[in-house]
Amino acid sequence: MTRGTPRLIAQPPRLLRAGNWLAWPVAPRALAYAALLLALAGAVLATTLRAGDPGLSWSALWLALQGAGGAVEQWLVHTVRLPRALSALGAGAALGLSGALFQSLTRNPLGSPDVIGLTAGASAGAVAVAMVWPGLMPVAWGAAAGALLATAGVWFGSGAGFAAPQRMVIAGIAVGAIAFAFVQYGLSNLRREQAYLAAAWLNGSLAGKTWTDVALIGAAGALLLPLGLALCARLRLLEMGDDLAQALGATPSRSRLAATLVAVLAAAAAVTVAGPVAFVALAAPQIARRCVPASGPQPLLAALTGAVLLAGADLLTRLAGPNGLPVGVLTAGIGGVYLAFLLVLEWRKTST
Amino acid sequence: MAQDLHLNDPADAPSALQLRQVSLSYGDTAVLRDLSLAVAPGAFTAVVGPNGCGKSTLLRVLGGALAPSQGQAFLDGASLAGLRRKAVARRLAYLPQNPVAPEMITVRDLVARGRYPHQTLLRQWSPADALAVEAALADTDLADLADHPVHTLSGGQRQRAWLALVLAQDAGIMLLDEPTTFLDIRHQIDLLELCARLQRAGRTLVVVLHDLNLAFRYADRVVMMRSGRIAAQGEVRQVVTEDAMRQVFDLECRVLPDPETGSPMVVPRRGGQG
Repeated sequence: MTRGTPRLIAQPPRLLRAGNWLAWPVAPRALAYAALLLALAGAVLATTLRAGDPGLSWSALWLALQGAGGAVEQWLVHTVRLPRALSALGAGAALGLSGALFQSLTRNPLGSPDVIGLTAGASAGAVAVAMVWPGLMPVAWGAAAGALLATAGVWFGSGAGFAAPQRMVIAGIAVGAIAFAFVQYGLSNLRREQAYLAAAWLNGSLAGKTWTDVALIGAAGALLLPLGLALCARLRLLEMGDDLAQALGATPSRSRLAATLVAVLAAAAAVTVAGPVAFVALAAPQIARRCVPASGPQPLLAALTGAVLLAGADLLTRLAGPNGLPVGVLTAGIGGVYLAFLLVLEWRKTST
Repeated sequence: MAQDLHLNDPADAPSALQLRQVSLSYGDTAVLRDLSLAVAPGAFTAVVGPNGCGKSTLLRVLGGALAPSQGQAFLDGASLAGLRRKAVARRLAYLPQNPVAPEMITVRDLVARGRYPHQTLLRQWSPADALAVEAALADTDLADLADHPVHTLSGGQRQRAWLALVLAQDAGIMLLDEPTTFLDIRHQIDLLELCARLQRAGRTLVVVLHDLNLAFRYADRVVMMRSGRIAAQGEVRQVVTEDAMRQVFDLECRVLPDPETGSPMVVPRRGGQG
């Protein structure tokens, strides 16, 4: 920079604009990444609809989608495969959204819903209303209540709310253990066949999803994703510490509460539909921000990444055979490795 | 640092900040006791005092980050607690002592976060934002580093990046909590020169400083604190005396005119316990 004649030419970033009332900066790399994810999601969706036993040709699939063609094909597409694929995409997106918000709130990649016991709480809630006290309330509500309770437990257990990320992880492990014990208690009361089904759900499974599930996760996404996006600017400020965030015009306690609620509800909706699928909420936001790369929460990119991850994993388990793994077992396996990798990175960082 | 400052005119004429009989305690510990203070518009006020005397707490109350247990803070005569946070942030900037740099953020993106009070949910960018960000980068001599990740910067560069953030905020009053900590003497001088230029351009500054001689050289007013109270306040050249230094810091010293500027210069005596 030359003295006295500083460069004052403002380089306008790429903008998403509409007239005079909308102007959102968008990084070109984020756009490219989002386009890639949409293409991947489309590919996974098409493959999910076609692959399996029996497989469908492109023309048979096209006919069935239009409501023509054979009854078997129509049943396969409309009743079996399409709801399953859409549920996977929706639940994955909700988990990605939840993870992005939580990791930003806690300023910690480990502060994601599966690590801090939130998904375990949601399963306990679902088990409570589905098996222990059946008919108390709908399962989705039970999951949400369980997730909220677990979050409250972590909040109090850490002794400093969400302001102490390291302690949150430990408090989360404790809350997760309590929730898991409750789940086991619920299972022990069941007859064998019921317990078998429940165990599949508790691993995270998308088998047998119906349009009801699609409607639930679709409604949750349509409501929560815009809220998450709207909270983004405030979360970006919170990442710099409460004092500075407040000095810049945010209200830290209120923004944190709102973001926590959105994240908890998104995780609860996903758990209701797909069970406590591991790894997606943890990894999706991290993968998204490393691919772009970007600072601050990226709810939309994390949601897209989560959708592709979960739908892709579900497709893999389905291709493994008719009695294939529950998808959660696959994601948990990969997730364990990834979690260890993250922990090592964190420890390296703090020890230097 | 660049000689010319590219300030948009601070929207309002000189604003003033006031505390009236403010007390504040953390639990049972009183940190501020019955403290009244009027920040002169257009002045560069240094806040000095021994460790733990409540300087940072005073700044947090002035900045609205802490609500006092008793008494009130006023911005232009209106109670700070009753104003909308975003409206306050357009007039009053506050840089705390230990802000957290988000992961993987570039200098320009960090500075751009200072524009939040000027943005709305749907309009998160405007040409004025871009101008203010580039001007703040130029004023802090960071234009060449704008696209570097913050975590690769040196301590001094990082401190300047934070300062650029509050500059971009474009508020008439700036509160800075020990902005020169961790800086070597060269960077301390650069930063204080920048503060002096900001003052000449019409801003009001309240700055907590540790180095007394630099504080008295650059500031025109001083607030001396001890145990949560204001021990002395006023024009630097009138307030800073050997007596005041003894009362506030328990320090036996001589106060001589700075040969460079004529401002008071504190020279501690040997074995100088009070």
